[in-house]
Order: sequence, then C-alpha cells, then structure tokens
Amino acid sequence: MVSNAFAIDILIRVFLFAFIGVAWNLLGGYAQQLSLGHAAYFGLGAYTSTLLLIRAGVSPWIGMAAGGVVAAAASLPIGALCFRLRGPYFAIATIGTAQTLMLLFLKFRDFAWGAVGTTIPNLGNAPLMMQFTAKAAYYYVALALLALGLAVTSWVERSWLGYYLVAVGEDQHAAEAVGVNVPRIKRDIYLISAFLTGLAGTFYTQYIYFIDPNTAFSFNISVEAALVSIVGGIGTLWGPVLGAVVLEPASALAQSWLGGGAHAGVQLALYAVILIAVILWRPTGLLGALTAVYARVVRAAPAGVPGTGRPVRKGLPLDG
Amino acid sequence: MTAVVAQAVVNGLLIGGIYALVSIGVTLIFGVVKIVNFAQGEFVMIGMYISYWLATLIRLDPVVSLAVSMPALFVCGVLLQKFMLRRVLGLGDMPQIFLTFAISLLLMNLALLLFTANYRTVQTPYTFSALRLGPLYLSVPRVIAFVLAMLLSAALELFLRTTDLGKAMRAAAQNRDVAMLMGVNPDRVFAVAVGLALALAGAAGSLLMPFYPAYPTAGQQFTLFAFVAVVLGTLGNVRGALIAGLMMGMAESLGVQFVGADSGLIVVFGMLLVTLAVRPGGLYGGQTL
Amino acid sequence: MAEALVVRGLSKRFGGLRAVHDLSFSVQEGQTVALIGPNGAGKTTSFNLITGYYRPDAGSALAFGHELVGLYPYDVCARGLARTFQVARPFGRMTVLANVMTGALLRDKRVAAARERALKAIDFVGLSAKEASPARDLSTIDQRRLEVARALATEPRLLLLDEAMAGLNHTEIDQAVGLVRQLSQRGLTIVIVEHVMRAIMAVAQHIVVLDHGQKIAEGSPKEIAANPEVIRAYLGTGGGH
Repeated sequence: MVSNAFAIDILIRVFLFAFIGVAWNLLGGYAQQLSLGHAAYFGLGAYTSTLLLIRAGVSPWIGMAAGGVVAAAASLPIGALCFRLRGPYFAIATIGTAQTLMLLFLKFRDFAWGAVGTTIPNLGNAPLMMQFTAKAAYYYVALALLALGLAVTSWVERSWLGYYLVAVGEDQHAAEAVGVNVPRIKRDIYLISAFLTGLAGTFYTQYIYFIDPNTAFSFNISVEAALVSIVGGIGTLWGPVLGAVVLEPASALAQSWLGGGAHAGVQLALYAVILIAVILWRPTGLLGALTAVYARVVRAAPAGVPGTGRPVRKGLPLDG
Repeated sequence: MTAVVAQAVVNGLLIGGIYALVSIGVTLIFGVVKIVNFAQGEFVMIGMYISYWLATLIRLDPVVSLAVSMPALFVCGVLLQKFMLRRVLGLGDMPQIFLTFAISLLLMNLALLLFTANYRTVQTPYTFSALRLGPLYLSVPRVIAFVLAMLLSAALELFLRTTDLGKAMRAAAQNRDVAMLMGVNPDRVFAVAVGLALALAGAAGSLLMPFYPAYPTAGQQFTLFAFVAVVLGTLGNVRGALIAGLMMGMAESLGVQFVGADSGLIVVFGMLLVTLAVRPGGLYGGQTL
Repeated sequence: MAEALVVRGLSKRFGGLRAVHDLSFSVQEGQTVALIGPNGAGKTTSFNLITGYYRPDAGSALAFGHELVGLYPYDVCARGLARTFQVARPFGRMTVLANVMTGALLRDKRVAAARERALKAIDFVGLSAKEASPARDLSTIDQRRLEVARALATEPRLLLLDEAMAGLNHTEIDQAVGLVRQLSQRGLTIVIVEHVMRAIMAVAQHIVVLDHGQKIAEGSPKEIAANPEVIRAYLGTGGGH
C-alpha cells in the first residue's frame, strides 16, 4: 500500500485512462472506427449518476450502471448518424456530437446545473455511496474497472466477435462478402464501448467530487482515450494500459514542473508531440515495438491480432 | 424584409469567399495527396497571427502582408509534406487522421502557450468603412477579402488548367497509377499541392485580420466549415469547394439572421446531413479536380 | 436438375452508362458456368449486382428459389453464395488461418469448430504451410488462394470466382483448374468470370458471353468457340493459353 497521495493519484489516473482507452480501443482499435467524441459517453455516464444521486438519493453504484446504460443507448442514434461517414468525416462527426452534448448541458440550468456544475455532497466515508476517506479505496475501484474492461476485451478478442471486428476494421466490403453484418457489428461494439466509457464518467465524478459540462464532455478526454491506445498499441489488449502507464505520469509530471495557468496548453501540446512521434516512427505503438515477445503472446490468442510488424500499406481500394 | 434577406445573403457571400479559400485548400490536399488535413484551420490561424504581428510591429496592412504570409505558408506546406505527410501515405486511416489531427492540436496549443488566449485585433483605416449599394451595406474589409479570395481562386484554377505542374496535379488526383506511369514526380507534385493549399489558408488568415480577431482556436471553425464544404462540393473538386464555400457562408448568415447567433454548428451539420442524404457524391458527383 | 441461379432482366446504369442491360441466364445446380466477354462488358458488375453490392435498376436474381435483389452482401452470403474479388482483399492484419476462420464463423460461431473447418479449406487450396503467416505478407497468387479458401469456409452452394486465374503461369493454371474441378465434383455450383481460354474450356460446361453489358451468346464451349458473333466481339485476350 503506497501512502504517498500523489503516487496514488497518478496510479488512479493510470487505471482510469487505461480503462477509458480499453473502452475506446474496442471500437477504434479493433474495428478501426476512429472516434474523437467518446467524451460524449463519459459525460452522459457522469451526469446520469450525479442526477440520480442528487435528485433522487440513488447510490452511485446503481447510478454507474444506469449511466452506462444511458451512454449505450445514446450510442445508437449517434452511431446511426455517424457511421454513414467514413474515416476523417466519421471522426469529425463524433467530435460534433460530444460538442453538441456539452452545449446542451451548458444550457440545462434547471435540469442539470448548467455551466456552473455541481459538487458531490461529501458524506464522509460512505462506501455504499461510492465515497471513501481512504484514497486507496478509489484505487481499487479504478483497478476493478480496468480489470472489467480487460476481461471484456479479452473475451471479445478470443470469440467470433473479435474476428468479425478486425475484419470490419480491415475491409468492410470483404467482410460483407463472407457474411459479416457490418452495420450490426459496428452498432454492437459501439454499445459496449459507450457503456464502459459511461462507467468511467461516474467513477471520475465521484473521485473528484465535482461535475460540470466542460469537465464531463471535455475534448481532452476524447483525445486521451484515443491517444493511450495509439501510443500503447492500437487494437491490442494491453496497448491502452501501456499507453496510460507512459502518458499519465508524463503528463502529471509535466504539469507539476511547468505548473500554473499554462498547463492546459502544455498537456495537449505534449500529447500532440507524442502522437506525432508515434505515428511517424511506430504506428503500431509501444506494443508493436516489442514485437518479438508479444508475437508469441499474441499468437496464443487465435485471432492473430495486431501488435506485430509493420502497419498495412493499403493500395487503391479496388473492386473489378 | 427582402432587404434584410438580401443583406444577409450579401454578408454571407462575402465571408463565403474566405470559407471557399480554406475549403479549396482542403480539397486540393485531399484530391492530390489523398489526406484530409485536420489542421487546415490552424494554418489560417497562423496566417492571422503573422499579419497581426506585422501590423503591430511594423504597421504593415494585413492585406499587404499577404505577400509575407502566403510564401511563408507555402514553405510550411512543402515542409509538412516532405517531412510528415509523405511518411503516412498509403498507411491507412489511422495514421493519416491522427497525424494531421495531432498537428492541429500542437499548433493550437503552441499558439496558446506563445500568444495566450487573448483575442488580438488589428485596426485599419478601413475596418469600419462600408460601401452603399442601394439598400445594402457592404463592409469594405469584407469586400476586399472576398475580391482577393476570388482572385486567388481564379489564379489557382488557371494554374491547374494551364501549367504542367497543375496538370500533373489533376492527373494525380484523377488516377494515381496512370499519372505515375506518365512520369509525374509524385514528391514534387504533392509538395506543391500542399504548399499551395497552406498558402491559401495563410491568405485567408491575413484577409480576415481587418475584421476578425486572432486567437489560438480561431481556425477550428474554418476547418469544420471547410470539411462540410468539401463534402458538399465533391471531394477533390476545386470548383465545387469554391461554390460550396460560398453557399456555406450564405447559409450561415441566413441562419444567424433567422435562427439565432449560435446557429453556426447547426447550419454546418444540417448541410452535411442534407448532402449525405440527398447527394452523397456532392455537387459534382464524383468528379475530381 | 434444380436451378441454382436464375438471373432475369438484370439492368444497371451508372449515370449515362449502361453497365448491364437486360441480362438473363440460368445456372443449373452442380454446373460450372463461365461468364466471358471483353473488358468493360459488365461481368464484374453482374457479380456485384447478384451479390448485393449494387442494387439493380431492374430485374431479379433467384438463388435456389430465393430472391437476392434487395439483400445486402452478408445476407447473400448467408443464403449460400460466396464470391471472390478480382483483386484479392485479404484481412491483412490477420493470419491466413484467422482470415479463413472469419469465413467459417458464418455457419457456426464456435471458434474451435470454425478453426477445424478453416484448416480443411486452407489445406484444400494448398496454403497449409503458410497458415500462420500474416495475410499481407503473402504473394498475390497465395492471396488469391486465401480468397478462395475464405469463400469456401462460408460453406457456399454457389461460388462466384472473379478472374481467379489472371496472371497465373501454366502450372498454376493447371492447379487452379484442378481445384475448380474438384469443387465441381463435390457438387458445388460455380460461376467463373475469366479471360484465360484454356481454363474456361477445361472447366466450363456452359458459357455466357457478354458485350457492352448485354448477353450476345450462350451455349456449350464448342458452340461458343464457333459462334461468329462471339469471335467478332471478343474471344480470349490476355490469356489465349
């Protein structure tokens, strides 16, 4: 048990963003639907549990599950709209949806406290209401969430869904030719990804005892969800974890060194530089860099899923 | 009432010229290099800051500073292509999307760190001047911006139609393989295409300064509008991007007039949805450059 | 004999271009039929219409009695039609085995069972040695084999092969012809689009000839070889083996 509060906080952030990354990775890594709007689900999860807590006294444990469901439900209309677009246009559309939700919640002053947001009433040590005086307790919750995300991903990877996801991510038309119902697969994995991301939203709100639209639907969260996966190894089980282990402490340290009001710009600038570096030198991420070891591990997982070797160089998409 | 509508249309047309410039840049890069440039708006922002600092430090009129911002951004474009974009060609969606996205993020946040979030404006003698055309008021800086935007677009079109390099670009956009077979040097063609696209973005930024503030995230809106305009105008089609940019300016202006001040996002997504639903191939239905 | 595929009045325009016009032909169950014609005749477009990638402007395609028009490609595959693409489209990130398993999973979502059936299909096309290779590392010919194995793994009753023999050398063509014959002996109905005359003559029991999107002739290989219309329009460029 680490007693250093700063270290625990970093670990909690590592677990949390690894979890968010794992959730993103199901859609963005395996199925290659590159969303930059996952904050939409983070925020919906956060607001659902907070509203249930403050307006109806419902425990955030239940609220967390409810938040996940709300987030998943939202992914249906959002997906129906956004999946009509491909590649960069899909990404832009997802950014738009998260922004739109932020704008909506900024306006909902009566229903959801508007721009001011609200604090979570401090109940002292109330485990049944997801509040703990010992910081380490949050650490275990975050770890449990991460374990859940990894378990889901692992199951998916080894099941028929894993093969179908990678097929969709590689070549939708070819996938359709072998019987993969591409729209349904995209819809289903979006549901799962959104649900998990919603859970993270609740946890974070309970951890920092505060919620407002700018935090809950923050573009930074959307970026980080994609970033940890890409840096660590997109489309792999452990990629997001590795990415979070590298990025979170780096960002926390950068913030404390450079400190002060400029830190928002520093964090994102740092992320941008890392992202550029990864893409130019090793698009398969850290995991890809550790090819030899992981090739053995990955081959044990029957999908032969990436993390090994160079990225695909695609020719012109052709069909006779 | 018609006067109100007419005024809104005119205002929209004038700012549409700027949207057109930015959109043409995006569509040019997409058509030739096949990469969607998430950072196009940020290069507009850079153009804005270049003109701001020249105006503030040596009192250079922003419109005149085109002579600085355009070449500077052309060079940026060539460097961008040679050192970054070239390395992600043919690698698929993820590297291409996230590279220009990361560049966008970097530029915005560098601007934030270097210049703070404060709005920077430039005062010129003609900032508040207006021409009268019957019942209509035409804001002088906007008219200048529009006219120059149209001239630059025409110049680009001329370049694409008459010069060897321009024709090579169109060839590369229409059929990469055939173009290669005919001896087109891809590196040079791509570098010039990106250079021109960024030069147009820089021009847009300079032209905006007399009537628009510079701030780190100023470019984002232009990227968004440009993306929709490019889809509407058919991906890779320069004329389409021009027309679509003008249309978006007018639609936004009418939206602001009749729906509300914040309707920008609604207009943009509305037009995107309508395009996707009704004519996904855009105005020129599949024809590029 | 039952009819595996009945195409009636199939038509498709792209803008001003008539890609396919009023195409009708039948394929008996267990038959191997060749669809031939010059480049641009509408052969691949016909495949795309039948398998649900394009919606025809008019006409119908009945496979084993079920209407295919209006179905999406994945439903067409579920109905028992598998197709290959003119340029192979493997799932590059996945191994050969994983690629074929993706096909096998259509009929049975259990991974272990799918693996068994995939291994058989891989063995059939002769790729067993490379089953663990990433698909993107394969040669073009092997990628074509993979394409066929993956299609076979979906357990089709009708297989549509789009120029599977293009660019193959003598030996490779013989091997491919052998595979097609074996599939035919197993009772599979096969429609091939081909330019390689040697292969067509070796496997096809019936030939349909297209030109400019329309059927200009139909009959046995002997009849077609002697048909002046066909000879005039086109008979075997590129191949002529």
